[in-house]
Parts: sequence; structure tokens; C-alpha cells
Amino acid sequence: MAFVVFLIITFFIAVTQIVVPYLVKKTVVFGVTIPEQYINDGTIKKLKKQYAISVALLSIVLLTGYSVWSLTTEPKEEQMAMIGVLMEFGIIFISLSLYIYYHGKVKQLKIQNKWVEHLKQVKVTDLSVRNEDEMLPWYVYLLPIISTLGLMIYTMFNYDILPQQIPTHWGPSGEPDAFTEKTPFSAMQHTFLLLIMQLMFFGVHFATKNSGIKLSASNLAASKNRQLTLRKYSSWFLFFVMLACTILMSFFQLTTIHPEFAAGSVKIILPFAFLIIVLVGSLVFALKVGRSDKGLEGTIEDNIMEVDEDQYWKGGMFYFNKNDPSIFVEKRFGVGWTINFANPIGYLIVLLPLIIILIISML
Amino acid sequence: MIIRIETTSDVPIYTQLTNQIIEGIARGDIQYGDSLPSVRAFAADLGVNMHTVNKSYHELEKKGIIKIVPKSGAIISPSKQVTNEMNERIHSEIKPIIAEALVLGVKKEQIQQLIFSIMEEMKER
Repeated sequence: MAFVVFLIITFFIAVTQIVVPYLVKKTVVFGVTIPEQYINDGTIKKLKKQYAISVALLSIVLLTGYSVWSLTTEPKEEQMAMIGVLMEFGIIFISLSLYIYYHGKVKQLKIQNKWVEHLKQVKVTDLSVRNEDEMLPWYVYLLPIISTLGLMIYTMFNYDILPQQIPTHWGPSGEPDAFTEKTPFSAMQHTFLLLIMQLMFFGVHFATKNSGIKLSASNLAASKNRQLTLRKYSSWFLFFVMLACTILMSFFQLTTIHPEFAAGSVKIILPFAFLIIVLVGSLVFALKVGRSDKGLEGTIEDNIMEVDEDQYWKGGMFYFNKNDPSIFVEKRFGVGWTINFANPIGYLIVLLPLIIILIISML
Repeated sequence: MIIRIETTSDVPIYTQLTNQIIEGIARGDIQYGDSLPSVRAFAADLGVNMHTVNKSYHELEKKGIIKIVPKSGAIISPSKQVTNEMNERIHSEIKPIIAEALVLGVKKEQIQQLIFSIMEEMKER
């Protein structure tokens, strides 16, 4: 079981890392802004290909090694999990190192070829673009929260029938394998965690909604389509994950109250289904967004380009722009969002709930 | 309506914003009664400081072109009649530019032609 799970997750990580250069915004190559006029340059295409082939080859080696090791030596589940996690981090580390290497190369290429010197940088926006924003309305995210509040009240009323030992951890078979003494707090612990997670998602929605819709002067149609697609599918994906988490955690809370509630197989299938759904969901999300600005050729005026924001991207990865009120901005390497490190609200939304969750789980 | 800001221009960003919004209204791209985006959204979309957008909105309000209504935002509502004060302001702003053109040797007819062609571009109001 552990073997299959790790194989699926690692394979998924490897594939996403391999295709990243082809899914990011057209005009950003390895975290460097390249004017629309030069994105079809031969050297750039070659570097993208080199990166993809390198990550692919190294991933194949790691995955084959892991499979051979697991199938021939038949290690314990814990060992398999340990090495599996190491392998996942290995692939992320490899692709990150290659990214940094190619980031430097493209940066050099840009300076050598003087790609930006003769171009006028233009910021652009459409006054009506906000009317075309198709993010889910905020109140949709209230539904799972209401469901959790209901679950909390239900738990309170059923405190007496809860077992003396409250499960805190579930093994791969879906059976609890760690317990704590029953107290009013420990009985509610999981519902608290769920609620805080949901509130974080709620905050993420507002932060995304208030973040800028960044259009590109050199290709208005493509950039608009990409930004609107990113926002729409982010909000759907966020809701989807929120719903899946709510179902999963509510299920475990209910089986704690009513052990007879679940037949044995559901306990195993549910977490597994959760994993598959989230993986498939993120794949669909990445492909939808990644393809949204491809094939839309803009009318490129000879002497303009979108604003070169490389100076705000520290190391090509961390966005730090005090002038931009956006809390989130589109990632430069990968599909999705990253926080504007110059905006303290971003830290609050992402870090505060994590700290509270950590504190609750350590109490 | 598309707003384009040149970041390396000598003209400050808030002035570029003000000018383009006014032109947009004159051309009919933005209608009377339309509202402009909120300061926060506009600044985030352009990636500029909120003060910049705020400054532009206040300039437009001072010129009598928009009304800033608490909670509903900035609404396009140019004043109904041209006051003496407005006439004087336009006069004093146009004068140095025409003088400059004449000094540089642009012919009177050419200046007239220029003004007519600019007015052609804008919708009759």
C-alpha cells in the first residue's frame, strides 16, 4: 500500500516538475522576463528542453531504484515511507537546483543579447476586467464552515457516548493507532483543526480576490485569458479541496462518535480517494491554467514590452514589491500563486493558521 | 477601456492615469454614471502604489470630473456647466503650449488643424 502511494505521488511530482517550463506564463523563462518578441528564440527553447530531459532522466533513475529496492528487499512500511519521502524531496531538490542553474543562464542570455534595452516598458490594465472575473462568490465557502459548526454542536451533545480514549492518529488501514484521554478539548480537537483550516481557506479566497489581475502590454488577450483562468480555477480548486478535507475529517469525527458508522473498507478507501482526487484536481488545474495563454498570438508592437519585474523577484522565486498592494501574485516557476513578501497580510493569512494548528496539535 | 502607463516616462504615473481617464470619457469609452474601479483593485491590477491611484482620483475630483462617494466609489459625473474658474484653468493650461508651438515655428493653420483633429477623435459631447 505504502509503495503504491509513494510511487503515485512521486510520479506526479516528477511529471509536474518536468513540464513546468511549458506551463508557466509565456514571457517568463526560468523566472526571467523575456520580451514577447524573443520567446521563440532557439537558445531558450534548447534550455527548456535540456531542463525537462535532465529532470525526466533523474526521476526515472530514482523511481526505478525505489521500485527495485522495495520489491526485492521487502522493507518495513516505515522504512518504505521514510525513503519515499526522501525520494520526493530529492526530485524537488534536483529540479530546484536545475531551475537556479538555468535561471542564471537565461539572465546572462538576456543581458548579452540586449533584449530589453531598446524596448519601452508599459504597464497596462483594462478598467472592465474586474467585471469578467469568474471567481466563486465568497459565501460559497461558508457552506463547509457551517457544516463544521454543526459537527461541533453534534459532538458536544454526544460527549457522553464518546469513547474514553479519543483517537488522534489513523494508520494506513484506516484504524486509529494513537489515542488520548477524553476531555472536552480532546473531543473537539479535530473539529477545531478543521475549522481553522477552513478559515484559512476563506482568508485565501479574499486575498486572491483582492490581488491584482496583471495584464501584459505586449499580449493583452493571452495575459487576460491566463489571469482570469487562473483566478477561476484557483477558486474552484480551493473550494474542492476545502470540501474534500471537510468530508474526510467529518467522517473520522463521526466514526469516533459512532464506531458502527463505517464498514471497514470505507475507512481505507476514503483517504485514498481523497489523495487521488486532490492529485487529479491539481493536474487538471495546472493544465487548464498552463494552456490558457498558449496559441494566442498578440499583435506585437515593435518597441514595447510588459514591465520587467525581475528586480522584485529575489532569486527568481520570492516576490517582494512594496508598491504592489496585491497579497498574492502568480508564481514564476510552477502554476499557482505565491505571496508578496512585502505585504504583511500575506504572512498573517498563511502563517497564523499554521501556527495555531501546530499549537492545538501539541496541546 | 485600456489604461497604458509608461513607467520610464517623465510624466508622473498619477498624471498619466488622470489624463487617460479624461480622454476615455471624452472618447466615450467610459460613460457618465460609470464607476471607476476601487483604489485597491486599480492599484493591484496595475501593480502601483495605492497612493498613486488615490492622488489621481483626487485630482479628477478637484477638476469636477468624478464624484467620490463613500462606499460606492468613484463615479464619473462631470459638472453640468462650465464655470468661469474652469474656463480660466483651461485657458491658462493651453496658453503656454500654443506659445511654445508658435515659438518653435509651427504655423497658425497647423495648430488649428491639430486642435480640430484632436477634437474629431473625441466624441461630440
